[in-house]
Amino acid sequence: MDTLVARYSRPTYDETVTEDMEEELLDPVASGLSLKFAMPPVAQPSSWLRSATDDRMNPDCPIKIAHGTTTLAFRFQGGIIVATDSRATSGDWIASQTVKKVIEINDKMLGTMAGGAADCQYWLAWLGMQCRLHELRHKRRISVAAASKILANLVYSYKNMGLSMGTMCAGVTKEEGPALYYIDSDGTRLAGNLFCVGSGQTFAYGVLDAEYKYDLSVEDALALGSRSILAATHRDAYSGGFINLYHVKEQGWEKHGFSDTNPIFWKTKLEKGEFTNVTSELV
Amino acid sequence: MDHRPQNWGRPRDDIYGGYDVSYMAPNAEPNTHTQSPVVTGTSVVALKYKDGVIMAADNLASYGSLARFPSVQRLMPFADTSVLGFSGDVSDMQYISRHLTSLSIDEAYGVQDPLNAANLHRYLSKLLYSRRSKFDPLWNNILIAGFDSDDKPFLASADLLGTTYSSPSLASGYGSMLAQPIMRKYASTEEDAAKLTKEQAIKIVKECMKVLFYRDARSLDKYSLAVVTRKSGEEGGGGVQITQEKLEGMSWKFADRIKGYGTQTV
Amino acid sequence: MSALFSQNPLMNGPNYSFSDTPVSHPNEAHGELREHRFNPYTDNGGSTLAIAGADFAIVAGDTRLTSGYSIHTRYSPKVFKIGGTTADQKDATIVLSVVGFAADGTALRERLDAACKMYRYRHGKPMSVNAAAKRLSTMLYQKRFFPYYVYAILAGLDEEGKGAVYSYDPVGSYEREMCRAGGAAASLIMPFLDNQVNFKNQHIPGSGEGHAIQEREKKPLLREQVEILVKDAFDGAVERHIEVGDGLQMMVITSQGVEEHYLPLKKD
Repeated sequence: MDTLVARYSRPTYDETVTEDMEEELLDPVASGLSLKFAMPPVAQPSSWLRSATDDRMNPDCPIKIAHGTTTLAFRFQGGIIVATDSRATSGDWIASQTVKKVIEINDKMLGTMAGGAADCQYWLAWLGMQCRLHELRHKRRISVAAASKILANLVYSYKNMGLSMGTMCAGVTKEEGPALYYIDSDGTRLAGNLFCVGSGQTFAYGVLDAEYKYDLSVEDALALGSRSILAATHRDAYSGGFINLYHVKEQGWEKHGFSDTNPIFWKTKLEKGEFTNVTSELV
Repeated sequence: MDHRPQNWGRPRDDIYGGYDVSYMAPNAEPNTHTQSPVVTGTSVVALKYKDGVIMAADNLASYGSLARFPSVQRLMPFADTSVLGFSGDVSDMQYISRHLTSLSIDEAYGVQDPLNAANLHRYLSKLLYSRRSKFDPLWNNILIAGFDSDDKPFLASADLLGTTYSSPSLASGYGSMLAQPIMRKYASTEEDAAKLTKEQAIKIVKECMKVLFYRDARSLDKYSLAVVTRKSGEEGGGGVQITQEKLEGMSWKFADRIKGYGTQTV
Repeated sequence: MSALFSQNPLMNGPNYSFSDTPVSHPNEAHGELREHRFNPYTDNGGSTLAIAGADFAIVAGDTRLTSGYSIHTRYSPKVFKIGGTTADQKDATIVLSVVGFAADGTALRERLDAACKMYRYRHGKPMSVNAAAKRLSTMLYQKRFFPYYVYAILAGLDEEGKGAVYSYDPVGSYEREMCRAGGAAASLIMPFLDNQVNFKNQHIPGSGEGHAIQEREKKPLLREQVEILVKDAFDGAVERHIEVGDGLQMMVITSQGVEEHYLPLKKD
């Protein structure tokens, strides 16, 4: 009865115009990388989200999320090579040619970014936080296996909600040696020697598989990583920009440049005689 | 997630269901929605002048194309400082009106100055935005007229999505297409509006109401006209004055020369 | 690419373990009844632009607000000062521009401003741009599943006093850049900026032929040059985009504070 009375005797204005902001302002923890997300108040949030953001099915969709593209990483005797392109596209529009798709989780571990740029940036930053917390709690560095599993479990908990990421975690630890894991937004987590991820993956695999050997020298491995990305930028329209190259060693990772593909392409063609399908004469 | 190169990273149809275009369809045809206005009011027009703001809206509440309720007040005074003009759903208008009446009573007990039009506009835009974020919109476009904290004439709009904007002249619905060009001819900038006298402004607004009645099929020739002036300003005490007007001196002779509609005799 | 892998599995190309045919009206498959059909977004048009210099940053936006083909108002600012101590933001050092859906833009601006003010209150110092940039990114990502329809650009001076411009996508991926255009005319303005700010496709005359020609050396522009570039960029956009025009609002961030300028644009 009381509930009935309460239901029909509500004050004429019961509208409270408070935003979730209040809580966020008062709680310093909530303002960080929290796991609280606003959801659209509909029965099928993921379907709704797709209709607002899938620029491939509907080029006129209002919200065009930046997508990332060709990334690769492989294990070899000298550690791990990580290489990416730098193009972000929103539909046909090239949103950026200078995206940093290698995310420095900490000074010993790298993550790569393919799929939704924001998803990768946010969750890899969150992973960095978890790795640091692990260090503080256990007084030693987290293994790559553990770190990748934290991420895989997290994305699995958001499965089918619309996240899009294909990421690789690369690091070298004393216990594991060079370790490489692939994690995607389906929740898949795979350990492996060699991965290419993104819309240009097939082109990168083509070059990488042909030339890859575990015994590659560091110099050759770096060249192969760069050459594989070059191949992908050449044939995949959604890849391009700059080649971002990293080498992960036990002491930590080392950056090997963020280099424009155009001069590299011409150098590769003219000096090494590759890409003969492209004419260098403008006749 | 799709792993095929041509669609890499995008949602898969078999998981997310096919792409559903209807979610992002524009809200252009309101009455095709289940949650939509039923009894509606048409345009509201408003224009600033040197000592205040003029606002007008006709007294019709339509039920689809039926002219259902011909004497509904769509202008609402607030705390004798501001005026609100509602277009869109009438039940939502009445809800907001009840809500604001109790708000003004609550505020009247306070020690601070009564809410001015700028405060009211901000409050309403927050209310409308929070309701749109709940996908439970108040289906109105509201014009708010009065004075801001610097005691300058204030005119702004807030719509069902929470979009807000302000301009020397504003009009909702068909008014934005038919009346705005007329008002912008006289007051395209704040400076021009600040030169208008009350009589000139009323004349312009009346002209707009006439044009709207000629062309807007959901309009009526009976309308309310509100004049908001500074409390301290005029000898009459100022505040909000709402009068009832009827369009006069109209001529439909021009219809003679219109061909192409209805039964043709020639 | 898509021609290579036909969408029709019967025709050719690889077959997959899941159904490959695109579905256009899917809801019977889900067996779900939808309660309502309300589109919470609209596009209010307009365009924004930001350029970083050696010791300054400029953020600009047009002031037209549209919906469909109607111009709602000719003066609705898109560029805002953030994180000052007072309501008029006269001591603010960070500038945010938002374009897309205006109501979301306002909501986002108010949240970021509140966060900056809260930071100042807690830490007793103003927020740095890179901290504010990260904060804005997480703020956008909190709405990952119900995004703000907003293309944001944040600008200020970094700890070394250099101009900093951060650009965002609607769900919070961000990047520091030299320049960025956002909104309706981004596709018209951005190629111009690539050429004029980053000197893309500019070469040193007479430096050689064919592949030997050298790129023009990149260096930050002077403030006077940037102000002219901004005006030119918007004049060009107004000429070719219906949602851009009326007025140009420009904020110049220097070590002295933030200056605001307003220039007229064509009103047709």
